[in-house]
Amino acid sequence: MSVASLCRAFRVFSLNSSILSAPLHTPLAVRGVVGVTPLLRPHPIRFFSSTEPRPQNRTLWKQTDKYTVRPIGVKKTGGRDYTGKIRRRGIGGGHKQRYRMIDFQRMRFEPGKEKGTQIEERVIEVRYDPCRSGDIALVAGGNRKRWIIATENMQAGDLIKSSSVIGRMAVLANEGDAHPLGALPVGTLINNLELQPGRGAQYIRAAGTCGVLLRKVNGTAIIQLPSKQQIQVCETCVATVGRVSNVDHNKRVIGKAGRNRWFGIRPSSGLWKRKGGWAGRKIRPLPSLKSYVNVSSVSVQP
Amino acid sequence: MFSATVRRLALSGRKKVSAEGELLHRCLSVSSCACGKTFPRKKPRDVPEIQALERITYAERKHYVPGLAKPVFPDWEKDWHDPRRYRAPAAESMELYKERPCYIYTQRTNPLEGVRQALWLTKTKVVPGFPAQLLALAENPANQLEDQDERVQNAIRHARFWDTNQLRPPKERYCPSLLHNLLHLCRGLQVSHPALGHRMLAEKYSLSASWTRGEDQFQVRGQNGFLLSSTTPLPAVAGDEEIRSTSDNLLETFYPISPTIDLQCAHVYQLRNHTGFREDYPYPHAHTLFITEAGDAPKLEPEQLRAKLIMFAFGNALARARALYGNESRVLEKPVVVQSVGTSGRLFQFVVFQLNTTDLESDSGVKNLAWVDADQPLYDFAKVRPFIKKKVVKVPAGLAGYQPETFKKFLALYLHGAAN
Repeated sequence: MSVASLCRAFRVFSLNSSILSAPLHTPLAVRGVVGVTPLLRPHPIRFFSSTEPRPQNRTLWKQTDKYTVRPIGVKKTGGRDYTGKIRRRGIGGGHKQRYRMIDFQRMRFEPGKEKGTQIEERVIEVRYDPCRSGDIALVAGGNRKRWIIATENMQAGDLIKSSSVIGRMAVLANEGDAHPLGALPVGTLINNLELQPGRGAQYIRAAGTCGVLLRKVNGTAIIQLPSKQQIQVCETCVATVGRVSNVDHNKRVIGKAGRNRWFGIRPSSGLWKRKGGWAGRKIRPLPSLKSYVNVSSVSVQP
Repeated sequence: MFSATVRRLALSGRKKVSAEGELLHRCLSVSSCACGKTFPRKKPRDVPEIQALERITYAERKHYVPGLAKPVFPDWEKDWHDPRRYRAPAAESMELYKERPCYIYTQRTNPLEGVRQALWLTKTKVVPGFPAQLLALAENPANQLEDQDERVQNAIRHARFWDTNQLRPPKERYCPSLLHNLLHLCRGLQVSHPALGHRMLAEKYSLSASWTRGEDQFQVRGQNGFLLSSTTPLPAVAGDEEIRSTSDNLLETFYPISPTIDLQCAHVYQLRNHTGFREDYPYPHAHTLFITEAGDAPKLEPEQLRAKLIMFAFGNALARARALYGNESRVLEKPVVVQSVGTSGRLFQFVVFQLNTTDLESDSGVKNLAWVDADQPLYDFAKVRPFIKKKVVKVPAGLAGYQPETFKKFLALYLHGAAN
């Protein structure tokens, strides 16, 4: 590709020079032939002659706005960010993967039906996803289909519900349903937790994890994350009830070093290193409660 | 050595700039790479538009000048037509744009709910199995070929083994080839049944039929398979009694999924009812539609293929009915019957569709009828190489498990309307 583009770029110069060096008074017949040359002249290559990045390195799949359930081909980043610097070491190679767009916002309505308070959908398929540890589920409702993160006992044919209503009574939620935290009874196991209402799930998405709704305090909810840290979020944040699927993810046997390479994980250095203070058991107090309520207004205040 | 110098310079530069208290990241002397820090991509600044104030740009200077605005040039319009870089105008500005959307069923449509969805869209009652009076046609020895089984097996072997010099022809090749072979065998019966001469096979015909169902508009359009058409219409398969009894049938719905899922929702469309042939075409009556699983359109699952068979048989019948009886919706005096056959090269799907009514808006009243005979294998295996497992030949090479009933059904559909 690059060699071809280089050749094309140099061809620009050669044709230009030949046109310049050609005598101005050419016979009519020859001029008729020469008249074709402007059409034949190749376009200057934009990425080659300017600072624009080469199109083969464009990551279009990250920038698409339109939702699709079709898997999208992605390119390996090797842990590099957009500038080319290593952001995450130890990543590279592995089996080719395709990205399936997951809709983390359960209360996203179809265009034209934004006034509703509830979405009902049917699970069509539960399948493996190479891009994450949990399984994913294809759900269909109304005129659209979308991928969501599957919960532990989700099966094809199940009906799942997403609601934004916080009633006076706590709801009797089934696994896989999505409700605002204020509507759920205390002690519910939840996953796919939003930090800010309407932003989409950001926490508790890995395989087999779940959080616990500990208590509800005037308009906020306190949740224990899988790491045992407690966070405080607004009670209108939507979370899915249950545990994320693929519970036995931590019990799988990799078997050999090469298998980790298939997953795209590179070996660690291999050199012997003296264990320091990071190793061993430490006794330290639990981290304090972290609050995500009105984060934006807090950052404005100082 | 060099990098150390660069880093030292960069660090000293950073210190200097940070002392001023602004623009920490603008190390203009060196790249940010040497500085050892990457900065998040900046969002472009929102520049307010002020009326009656003209922005001074660096367009005339032809290079970037700090402090002057970036010029905005109008899009370059080529004065020639370049089909590779053609940009369609916005849908709203098109002539055929309409506010009300239309759901279009084409040959590429892969409906999620399959047959159930097709039945709802066409307001049809399904009868599983093959119509008995048609099956009786092919059972009659007068209507059968000489050495029928032998010749059909040779037709299959031709499509699967002898068609190409490849080791194994792909499905896109053997599927239509098998279909044409079988049709060729059927055509041989013209000697004993002269009415079979009034038939014509058309490829790549383009259909369009539109109707309203509930509050939505629907359309079946585009190319589909091969259409066998004839000079005489097919007789009705179900009698008046059976047609009247269909009004008790309840259409199956599949809440929470909408029946329009996976259909193409278009705002730019033209509602037409056209059979795809000129009005003076001597074979106006659609007889049988042959659709292959793999071919021009992407491959479909058997369930979706059956839905496609129903939809396109319905589309042909509806276009014909609209041409005969006009556009108003009514219960037809003489029902229009269209048959369709789908094949994956091994499995055959047979559909006989009878259009009883063009009144499709409401769910009540007389329904249409469809006989669906699903997943009929013509043979079990056609192996180029034997299938060996643990040194035991499980399936020998060649054709195995030929089932004559399937070809009889195929023949019955072909003879329908031409034999007694």
